[in-house]
Amino acid sequence: MKVLLVDDEQKFALMLSKRLELRGIPAKVFFSGEKALAEVEAGSRFDVAVLDVKMPGIGGVELKSRLSAVDPEMKFVFLTGHGSGTDYETGCLEAGDCLPKPLKIEQLIEALNRLVPDA
Amino acid sequence: MNDNNDRFGYESLAFFGRVNASISHELKNVMAIISETAGLLSDLSDMASSGAPVAPDMLKDCTLSIVEEIQRGFSVIRQMNRFSHSIDHPVESVDLMDVLDLSIYLSSYLSFAGKVDVRPYDGPAPMVVTCPFLLQAIVYQSLADAFKKIRAGSEVTISVAGSTDEKGWKILFSGFGPGELEGFPDALLKTMATSIGVAIDWDNRADRLEIFVPMTIDKGSLSES
Repeated sequence: MKVLLVDDEQKFALMLSKRLELRGIPAKVFFSGEKALAEVEAGSRFDVAVLDVKMPGIGGVELKSRLSAVDPEMKFVFLTGHGSGTDYETGCLEAGDCLPKPLKIEQLIEALNRLVPDA
Repeated sequence: MNDNNDRFGYESLAFFGRVNASISHELKNVMAIISETAGLLSDLSDMASSGAPVAPDMLKDCTLSIVEEIQRGFSVIRQMNRFSHSIDHPVESVDLMDVLDLSIYLSSYLSFAGKVDVRPYDGPAPMVVTCPFLLQAIVYQSLADAFKKIRAGSEVTISVAGSTDEKGWKILFSGFGPGELEGFPDALLKTMATSIGVAIDWDNRADRLEIFVPMTIDKGSLSES
């Protein structure tokens, strides 16, 4: 399973990627939506993207629609530090799986395995 | 209570809510990092228990990360406490540089926050007698709008200068391109500013935002507005 992980909280993204790696799921980390989008536009392919909802510049929900335009097969999981009311406002819940921060790694693994069952 | 007071009450409360939302988001980020780091330590501990080698540097990095995030959390809580106390006295004597300092801290928790450079004031502390909470709201909202409208990667420069008529101080925001902040502020913020004698003007020639703060507020103006 190839995972794209995008979060502007750099330490969070790096710690999470290490924990995924220890579970046999390598993740390519980007700290901005713009750089992640450029990577996919340049031809990199990922099975699933794990996106922070609120980021400076391109936020998670907009990033999803732009990544989907490049790769319609890509699946998505959102990470949010907000309450449920704001999640509805940002469109996070309508857009797909939405996991709250602080995160339970088992929930993320379960979502990844569900979205990409053959990996 | 007349319509204006209703509106100021709601706007002030809305400002309080916006700031608290951004603070809680910042604290959630801190907790999320601590949680992930603790999770990684637990993973490494499980590895060590099963006999797999664990690099000591990873343990050291995790510990350092937790210490740094706890310090970051304390810093956020300190600013939250300063902000909470800004409403203690409706009118009091405040140092404009303190108001700016707190506004910059609070606005840095916004997801779209940009870079700010505050020029130190060369002289005695620029003191005003004002409503610190409303002045805080005005400066914060000005910064938030500046972040939204300024070119990506640009820096907002803030300085304080005495007004030419010596009746107050000017807080000057620069670093904008032509017309970038034109149209700011909206009617509600303008009315809030007027209620404490503050005037917000966009200087077209200098592409600069000027916030005039009078030396002393008319103490009756808050309740009469």
